[in-house]
Amino acid sequence: MRRVVVTGFGVVSPVGCGREAFWSALAEGRSGIGPITRFDCSAFDVRLAGEVKEAPDLPEPVAEVAAEDPKVGFAFAAVREALDAAGLNRLDSRTVLHLGTSLEIFDLSKVICGGRPDFKAAVGRSLAGGPRLQFPLDTAARLIAEEYGRPGESLTNCSACAASAQAIGHSWRAVRDARWEAALCGGFDSMINPLGVGGFQMLGALTTDNDRGPQACRPFDAARRGAVLGEGAAVLVLEPLEKARAEGKAVLAEVCGYGSSLDAFGLSAPDPDGDGAVRAMQGALREAGISSEAVAHINTHGTGTHLNDEVEARAIRRVFPTWERIPVAATKSVTGHLIGAAGAVEAGACLMTLNRGLIPPNPSLSKVAPGCELMHVTGRAARFDGEYVLSNSFGFGGQNAALIFRRYDGRA
Amino acid sequence: MRNADVVITGVGMVTPLGTTARDTADAWRTGKVLAGRLLPELAGTPMEDVSVGVLAEFDAAKRLGSRKAIKYMSEAALLGCVAAHEAALDAGLRRRFQPEEVGLFAGTGLAAADVHQVLPLIQESIDSNGRFSTRLLGERGLPATDPLLSFRILANMPACLISIQEGIKGPSYIFTPWEGQSGAALREAWQAVASGEVSAAIAGAADTPAHPATLVYLRQSGVLGGHDVPSNASAYLVLERAETAARDSQRMYARIESVEVTPVDGAGPDPLRARIGSAFAAAPAILLALAAQLSWREASLCGSDRCRIAFRLGEAA
Repeated sequence: MRRVVVTGFGVVSPVGCGREAFWSALAEGRSGIGPITRFDCSAFDVRLAGEVKEAPDLPEPVAEVAAEDPKVGFAFAAVREALDAAGLNRLDSRTVLHLGTSLEIFDLSKVICGGRPDFKAAVGRSLAGGPRLQFPLDTAARLIAEEYGRPGESLTNCSACAASAQAIGHSWRAVRDARWEAALCGGFDSMINPLGVGGFQMLGALTTDNDRGPQACRPFDAARRGAVLGEGAAVLVLEPLEKARAEGKAVLAEVCGYGSSLDAFGLSAPDPDGDGAVRAMQGALREAGISSEAVAHINTHGTGTHLNDEVEARAIRRVFPTWERIPVAATKSVTGHLIGAAGAVEAGACLMTLNRGLIPPNPSLSKVAPGCELMHVTGRAARFDGEYVLSNSFGFGGQNAALIFRRYDGRA
Repeated sequence: MRNADVVITGVGMVTPLGTTARDTADAWRTGKVLAGRLLPELAGTPMEDVSVGVLAEFDAAKRLGSRKAIKYMSEAALLGCVAAHEAALDAGLRRRFQPEEVGLFAGTGLAAADVHQVLPLIQESIDSNGRFSTRLLGERGLPATDPLLSFRILANMPACLISIQEGIKGPSYIFTPWEGQSGAALREAWQAVASGEVSAAIAGAADTPAHPATLVYLRQSGVLGGHDVPSNASAYLVLERAETAARDSQRMYARIESVEVTPVDGAGPDPLRARIGSAFAAAPAILLALAAQLSWREASLCGSDRCRIAFRLGEAA
């Protein structure tokens, strides 16, 4: 089996576009959460989100789609940065493209004709060249292939909040096992639209603590009230270490473990014992061939919801007997929850932690909630010189994924 | 890890030819062809002549042994759960394997919110100028909406419902939305069992392309040909190691020799289309389930995403 390394990383996020902007905001604990500007949400209970502030510069066909489905533009911009960083300009038959995301966008206004909902009229209008009623989840992958060439395989994973972590884990194994020579993997998402925000509001998953503004997402805090939606994309280029070295590429980190599990418990609530999360983390450790003591930092899923945070903290304490000495980050506190892109963005945070020697703080954590005891990094970024980091992603519906990255030591 | 022989020990299907795997296979054997019908939602539109496959009525609650879970389900989730449950029972999955040893590898199609559920939400959100108002959506539309709607449109829900229903706790993937993707789910399941990552896998897909809005997309994108009959359908299979099945004296339909998903340049044959209709994401699993039951040694189809999905099967020892 081959060692696999990350040779490219691109990101579009609520705290900045491009990895340097993204990292400086994370390291300083600068929040990207604020009032929703994308649409009038004054009558919604939920009025905050982590919006991407800079519209990416996109080629015409992508910009056209992104005007209606912004997440497609985020994916494209993240792919471009990742490929540039890895010194690649084309995809080919030896490359797999694997992206995670969550849900097609539904623009309800498109079925209004003559001042009333009229599906039949909307069909006629759409077929006559009017607005499209659907954008399949593989739209981004198709546009990426049109611009950069057709990959050997294109996969779109829709495992909710675990989707992009799964995409990275699956791609890592595929390159490790020599099924592919390279992988372009990660995720993209935006649920910051009327039905997206409204749907999550109906589920009771989002905070309505609008007055807290940038600090409304409070993972593990006693005053947490729920998640805040974010949007964006993150994409990694994975290549065999041997090839990266031969080509003199800069290596961001080595990928060395992945675990996946299902809760089989409930549609909206995690298994209260955290068994599913435990199995995902244990699976990643097993695959990395390391003991739990080797992990020096964890980027938590940390959504800021009551149940999730408590269950995740419990699961971490079960897997890591030395948890009191393992600093944890909760970057959703500043990015919001990027749903299908969350795992990839947080994997990106882990890469930057390994390279910059800092663990980003959770700036909204002022009083740790009972049951959420971990070694939280609060206030300022903490220094880091460990070797292994673990990133958790737990999906709505009970899909869990954990990834382990290792500092690259420069040796073959 | 040693690559082991992988066999199919459970099949479940809901198609226009039959609402069980056996009914579908029997209907195929006798040369039956699907019945089509027109959709009232498209009457008077440029697509009023599009015919969709007819599924015979069946009691899903009885099949699943639960009426409660059904209220969370989209049609795709319902079809997927019924087919997966049939496959799981066929293979004795719950009786023979620990939940953590079983993986779930699913394909799913385009999202398909029920028009009838969404229209009232929109109606409540139209202002006095006849325009959609997000303010009214917040004030009146959302409160008037069934909160379970979110569960019915999230793309991962069909697979999550299957995991809950069948108690599956191993690894999972859900790929979307075309044939190549659900073919990849079957391939991943086969490889996961062969490599020993899981002891058994439940793999397949459900798709509901006969949904009116989906039909419009299919027509716009050139995927839906003039004579195509889109069909809502589902198929799931249970895969496990041959030695495990032999140890348990479990019926083995066939041994999987290979599952290949390869890009192709243009359109190609789909042997299901004329008999079962265009089932899109569900088609590869239907083909494999038919092949397993009818002792075909090779089967392939070309998907609308320019992928060829090919299976080679051998006799189970």
